[in-house]
Amino acid sequence: MIELFSPAILMSIFTAAIGVSTVILLAALGELVTERAGIWNMGVEGTMLTGCLIAYMVMASTGSPMLAATVAMASGLVVGLLIAFMTVTLRVDHFVTGLGFNLLASGLTLFWFRVYTGGGRPPSYDTIDTLAIPLLSDLPVIGPILFDQHLLTYIALLSVPFISYYLLRTTRGLEVRAAGENPQFLESKGLSVSTRQYGAVLFGSALTALGGAFLMLAFADQFRPDISGGRGWLAIVAVIAGNWQPVRTMLAVLVFAVLDSVAVHAQGLGVAIPYQFFLMLPYVVSLVLLVSIRTRSGQPAKLGVPYLRH
Amino acid sequence: MIKLERRTSIGWFAQLSAYVIAIGLGLLVSALLIIASGASVAEGFGALYEGAFGSSEAILQSLVAATPLIFTGLATVIAFRAQIWSIGQEGQMFAGAMAGYWASLYLGGAPSFIAIPLIILAAMVGGGTLSAFSGWLKSRFEVNEIISTVMMNYVIVFFLSYLLAGGPWTEAGTTSYNQTPILAENFQLPVMASAAKLHIGFLLALIATVLCYLIIEKTPLGFELRALGYNPTALRFKGTNVGRTVLVVMFISGALAALAGVSEIFGVNYRLRGDVMVGLGYTGIIVGMIGGLSPFGALIAALLFGALTNGSLYMSVLSDIPPALVPAMQGILLLFFLCTSVLVRFRIRIKRPAHD
Repeated sequence: MIELFSPAILMSIFTAAIGVSTVILLAALGELVTERAGIWNMGVEGTMLTGCLIAYMVMASTGSPMLAATVAMASGLVVGLLIAFMTVTLRVDHFVTGLGFNLLASGLTLFWFRVYTGGGRPPSYDTIDTLAIPLLSDLPVIGPILFDQHLLTYIALLSVPFISYYLLRTTRGLEVRAAGENPQFLESKGLSVSTRQYGAVLFGSALTALGGAFLMLAFADQFRPDISGGRGWLAIVAVIAGNWQPVRTMLAVLVFAVLDSVAVHAQGLGVAIPYQFFLMLPYVVSLVLLVSIRTRSGQPAKLGVPYLRH
Repeated sequence: MIKLERRTSIGWFAQLSAYVIAIGLGLLVSALLIIASGASVAEGFGALYEGAFGSSEAILQSLVAATPLIFTGLATVIAFRAQIWSIGQEGQMFAGAMAGYWASLYLGGAPSFIAIPLIILAAMVGGGTLSAFSGWLKSRFEVNEIISTVMMNYVIVFFLSYLLAGGPWTEAGTTSYNQTPILAENFQLPVMASAAKLHIGFLLALIATVLCYLIIEKTPLGFELRALGYNPTALRFKGTNVGRTVLVVMFISGALAALAGVSEIFGVNYRLRGDVMVGLGYTGIIVGMIGGLSPFGALIAALLFGALTNGSLYMSVLSDIPPALVPAMQGILLLFFLCTSVLVRFRIRIKRPAHD
């Protein structure tokens, strides 16, 4: 156990954690915007899984990570369209929609993966490289942790203040929030609630799928069934524990990422505690977070309530 | 107009058309999937049907495959009718199998008629307790039950992995198989039809279906359960301890899911291992929902899905279509069903103003 706390290992744990956090952070930011617009999308896990499979197939076929990420985002838009159609247009219960979609995604990705590999060995590829920022990455300690990461990691971290600004300081952001807080008011101003909700769901789903794509491109050289392994659910927990605020949500995501990273390192170091207990940690801690951080003041008033036009 | 929207029961004709349209569209999309995979649709569906219903043995095997789905489907019905969105059936099934196996370790030479009821009881307590834990988190700490049940699903799977790979239940000398040694004969569920090893779990599932129907429709608990779904505030004013009702509902749901684990481990595989149960809990959610959240509806859906699952093995031998077609079909059917059940309600809603 003590070997986990040597400076070199700690450095390695935090460096890996920042990288891993990107997957959950992208999904969490997407879900945050979606929920702020009043749609409680429980289909994050399935959306991420879809992004994983699409990115895998494109990457294995073309070898282009840019193309893989782009097509994965496009698949996220398709998913978002389906979820928005069900929740906004048909007004199916938000929870039921999300659960149904997760089950669909789980079955469809498995089927498509089997068809893709045709019973043979699944193709693999080299994971993408990090992009060290000159000078900054030479700084002691924080250099490698913060400035020798993947391009998408920088983008994800930078989008936290960007999304925060968009939601809290722009008119469009205000309109998105109004869709979740007081849709009648928005409608009375002649602004369409459903347009904003569709937009939020599409944006959130695309970002979530991008998170899945990043998981595939940076950390796995091969798809396997249900590879997203609950990270989509952790994103939802991060939004709740973060009280629907971007920065706090990011902090919650970092907690999960560090635990994830600790588990990987513990496995590699052969710590005496069975590795399965480390793997449980993010899920156990997510419940501890929900029980201990019970501030729900940021929860949109109409979150999960289908809006009916009068 | 809004009141009509909230009604959960719609006319039988609307309900029937929802099913017909959903199944039609579901089959159409599944056929497209088969075409996209490069196989022949007629061959695929033909093999699926043959494998599911082709002989009396195939039919019995379909019933065996349906058994765990009946249990997890009923678990879904009980929880969802109370609008408790528990998706912990998967983990509770694992917990049930584990608790049952744990009990068997203390039952050494006990005769079957003593050992098996005790194993079933232990399993139900195990699955029920895990489920009630999420219920407690919900009523005491307002932790969303979807999230807590999902998280417990992951935790339980890792815990089983520990027990079977290096932990105390590992089969001697073989950590790589992730399984326990084979169960003694007195722990195996008695077989009713030897042609396909149809075990008494199926009979229990039928009994459980009737019991669930009686609980939901004919008991005070059932009234509270349904009221919890419609109007929890009114229930609270009536003096009902809502937190207690949530716990009881969750316990029953978990105990039912646990029986799926018993049926797979003690009725089919005769040793505890995780991979043989994977997905049966999640499929139970589809079963419950497509069954219209009624116990008998879930029974029918489970029988159908069990047949599909059984047929898919035969299909994958005869053609290049992977057996994963069936989980994909189930997901597609569920989504179409969710959409069409709302759409048929829509039609009623839109017609209303014209009559007024």
